[in-house]
Amino acid sequence: MILLRLISLPYARKHLLRCLLTTAGIVLGVGVFVGMRTANRSVLAAFNQTIDRIAGAAQLQVSAGEAGFDEDVLDQVRSLPEVRAAAPVIEATVATDKRNLLILGVDMLGDRSIRSYDLEGDDQAIDDPLIFLAQPDSLMVTKKFADERGLAVNSRLPMRTMQGDQVFTVRAIMKPGGLANAFGGDLAIMDIYAAQKMFGRGRKFDRIDIALGEGTVLEDATRKLQALLGSGFQVEPPSSRGQQFESTSRMYALASNITSVFALFIGMFIIYNTFAIAVTERRAEIGILRALGATRGQIRTLFLAESALAGLAGTSVGVLFGILMARAMAGYIGGLLTEVYGVAQSPGDLTLDPWLIGTAVAMGLVTSLVAAVIPARSAARVDPVKALQKGGYQSLGEGENRARRRWAMAFGVASVVAFVFSRFGIMTYVGFVLAILAAVLLSPAMSFRLARALRPLLAGLRPVEGALAADSLIQAPRRTSGTIAALMLSLALVISLGGLARASYDSLAEWMRIALNPDFFVTTAETLSSRSFVFPGSLADGLRAIDGVAEVQPVRSVRVMVKNALIMVIAGDIGNIAKRVHLPPVEGNSEEMYRLAAEEKGVVVSANFARLHDAHMGEVLEIPAPAGILRLPIVGVVDDFSDQQGTLLLNRGLFIRYWHDDSVNVFRVYVTPGADAAQVRQRILQAFGGQQRLFVLTNREVRDFITRLTDQWFGLTNVQTAVAVLVAILGIVNALTVSITDRRRELGVLQAVGGLRNQIRHTIWMEAIAIGIIGVALGLALGAVQLFYSIEIARRDLVGISITYAYPFQTALILIPVILGSALLAALGPAESAVRGSLIEALEYE
Amino acid sequence: MNKVFLLVALTAPLFAQDPRQIILEVQKRQHSDSQRYEGTLEVISQGNQVATKRWVYQRIGSFGNSKAILRFTAPAEVKGVGLLIVNHPDRASDQWMWRPAIGRDQRIALQDRSTRFFGTDFSFEDLEERDVDQYDYKLLADEGAMWKIESRPRKSSQYEYSYFWIKKDNYTFVKIEAYGKKGLVRTIDYKNYEQIKGIWTARVTEVYDVARKSRTILKYEKLEYNLPMKDDDFTLQALRRDL
Repeated sequence: MILLRLISLPYARKHLLRCLLTTAGIVLGVGVFVGMRTANRSVLAAFNQTIDRIAGAAQLQVSAGEAGFDEDVLDQVRSLPEVRAAAPVIEATVATDKRNLLILGVDMLGDRSIRSYDLEGDDQAIDDPLIFLAQPDSLMVTKKFADERGLAVNSRLPMRTMQGDQVFTVRAIMKPGGLANAFGGDLAIMDIYAAQKMFGRGRKFDRIDIALGEGTVLEDATRKLQALLGSGFQVEPPSSRGQQFESTSRMYALASNITSVFALFIGMFIIYNTFAIAVTERRAEIGILRALGATRGQIRTLFLAESALAGLAGTSVGVLFGILMARAMAGYIGGLLTEVYGVAQSPGDLTLDPWLIGTAVAMGLVTSLVAAVIPARSAARVDPVKALQKGGYQSLGEGENRARRRWAMAFGVASVVAFVFSRFGIMTYVGFVLAILAAVLLSPAMSFRLARALRPLLAGLRPVEGALAADSLIQAPRRTSGTIAALMLSLALVISLGGLARASYDSLAEWMRIALNPDFFVTTAETLSSRSFVFPGSLADGLRAIDGVAEVQPVRSVRVMVKNALIMVIAGDIGNIAKRVHLPPVEGNSEEMYRLAAEEKGVVVSANFARLHDAHMGEVLEIPAPAGILRLPIVGVVDDFSDQQGTLLLNRGLFIRYWHDDSVNVFRVYVTPGADAAQVRQRILQAFGGQQRLFVLTNREVRDFITRLTDQWFGLTNVQTAVAVLVAILGIVNALTVSITDRRRELGVLQAVGGLRNQIRHTIWMEAIAIGIIGVALGLALGAVQLFYSIEIARRDLVGISITYAYPFQTALILIPVILGSALLAALGPAESAVRGSLIEALEYE
Repeated sequence: MNKVFLLVALTAPLFAQDPRQIILEVQKRQHSDSQRYEGTLEVISQGNQVATKRWVYQRIGSFGNSKAILRFTAPAEVKGVGLLIVNHPDRASDQWMWRPAIGRDQRIALQDRSTRFFGTDFSFEDLEERDVDQYDYKLLADEGAMWKIESRPRKSSQYEYSYFWIKKDNYTFVKIEAYGKKGLVRTIDYKNYEQIKGIWTARVTEVYDVARKSRTILKYEKLEYNLPMKDDDFTLQALRRDL
């Protein structure tokens, strides 16, 4: 404590900027960790809260995936003596002028036995359900929704429904709290039978909420209901819906975790670098302390304590920064999850998890301590006699260098071995980590060699400044090795993410070219992921009758529980679709698989489903449906990008029989050759647009929508890229600040012997650019390796889709000027500080 | 013969004191093959706000084994909404609601029978006729001009028990107090009795919801008995026919 006060505090005061830059690494790492996790958790918590509030007193829910089920299931459920109350529900989200509105269709007669509606003023409107029921335009909205739009009881609210444009009447307003807070307050209630019409759901319910009789054991009731309804239905507590969504959005959570861990990892290098420099800089101080009797343990503890304090400060600011970041990101993530998964999201308040904050603090502290272990050990080993001599201690000891190289070689070899055995899941990860470690350990030696290689080039450009800049790097590799390692890791991350994105776009573009070839897509929403509204199957005939329409292919897509995950079932007329679309087979024979699927003798699955859920050709899949379990063998595996969890392609006839559902999400429409597509589109809109909610999207619009969705998804990588570049800049500023402090005497002498200020500036700038060049070279090289592993991990464990390796040269080309420019920018401040420093102070020693 | 007369004479008062027999007598005296009236409903909230609705009610069959259709005629927003009640002697009634605006009927589930009937202070259960054998009766008191009888449902009901006050002279209900698990749920008062075609008929029924502190007054107008009616007019198809 005394040492901290007497030694560390004055040093920190003297090098305030450097201390701030060091902690900035931790701030960023912890901030990204807390920010992304909190935003993610808040969205999931809001989703769970919505489920919880909507569930009311329901202890169990009966569902059959997303497809819904016939109304008569309700009577079956109610026949069970254990069931005290059973209330049918339809859920749908509609886009409004501001945000999505969740509409809950409930049976107004009996729903109060499950949910309570706390209404504004005299609640006659809803307690007199006669008017509410008699008028299908009746709507009950929350106070928040009403206030935002200036609505009152009897106000009118237009909405586009499957019955065409309808004007709804607000008949009651719910007070804030409880149910009214579900979905962030963007909630409306309507009669379920009216909702069936408005959303085109026929005589189907989405689910049944159940309250059990007193004394009924939940498990007993679940078992009895399951036995009564059959395995085509899911009988689960409401909370399991949240779990399903969490598992569906697993990939997103993983991606955000990787970003945060990487940010901390990079932050660790900045701390390591700063402390390594501090040890070098403070050798004399350490020598004096040792000479005065300080033990090696005390010196080691001193440095570790400094690091812990820096870590604590960085972590505290990082947590606050993370919370601010989460606030900004929650809305974006909510929107993204809604678009990608088609599950309505509305982030409410931020959910701060004390465990998460605790973990972040622990991670920040551990990262700081781990980063300081090697410098602290070096400090403890300082020989007091040698330490009190000037100079000669900047370079790495040859022994240390050799040891690093040996470890690097060992890790490199082990990484190759792991790659050879990469078919055993975990080995891919082991190989990945070993490759990174090998690169990190090799980076000082590589930096040294690259700096030497750069010397002639720099000297050629500016004989004095170039040579001085290169020599600074060559003579003090420890000063920059951490920065270069951080830069290398950051750029490798950018390259691997960029490569992954590029390769994904390419694969997606190829899939869209093959699979999405109709001229038009007739849908119920502007976005293909929304499945709230459906068309009646009979509309197909109407569309076929339109002049200029050559073919209409109805497609129904719903998520159902297969292999304990919500998997997208796509039901279409396979025979007709196969005439126009032949997705390249990953397994099986193309002709054969489509024939068998069309004959309803099998199911074609997507490659990502097969990989993520360990499914194989010939395996008989059990697909639960309201009419019972549909058992079908896998007759083919194709690359299909329709859903992240995978897809099952079924013949539509089979779907209609097993789900008792002939509704349609999308009609794929082909125009007669020679017909004017624009006119055909107009005719479709004229014929049906006024009667029902109908959108005619062109092929280009659909492709643009999918590309935009992918952009949004990869938009997350922009955060990662920004973090990586920011960390890199921080590292460079840090290294240069240290370099200038370290070389004050050298720079002072240079000025004293007539060196111009501009020469000093140019020296610093060139040193920064040299650091940038070395970091870019190593980063682009490591990025190539990291991309390989990223693709392998994404293919195997994240999305299950085969992505072809393609180095993102375009990204690399963009990175070079960005990093070199950033390096130059990072050098401006330190360079000015160097030229404006007091010459007397700099030459004080002389 | 004399013995028989004597037996009847001796047992008659006892017979009259049997609560089940009293209820049977009430039902017998109010029996009609069919019934029709136009009802005006006034729902008076705790804050004295009054909502008025009108309906036409038609009924066919004997007590506990009857069918009835009730169709709203006013206000305009609810015109055409109907309710079909099919009473069964051995079990709870079947009830369906018809909503012309969406063109569909909806079965009123048993679990929903305790809910308020379309915003009135009646519940759906109050509209059904239950056969005398679906209850256990106990004569609680002889209050001079009235009997006080306790009735306990043998089958599922929102009520644990009810108290009936029945006038001795004409076997008509005066008042009902219905109790649930937590105490008194609602009271029903029968007022303004008149004889119509020999049947003592209350022209006003007033229901008081204890929890909500609201009242519903049902006034019977144009009440007629034993009109020619067909079974076919009391089916789901008939319910689906708009006014």
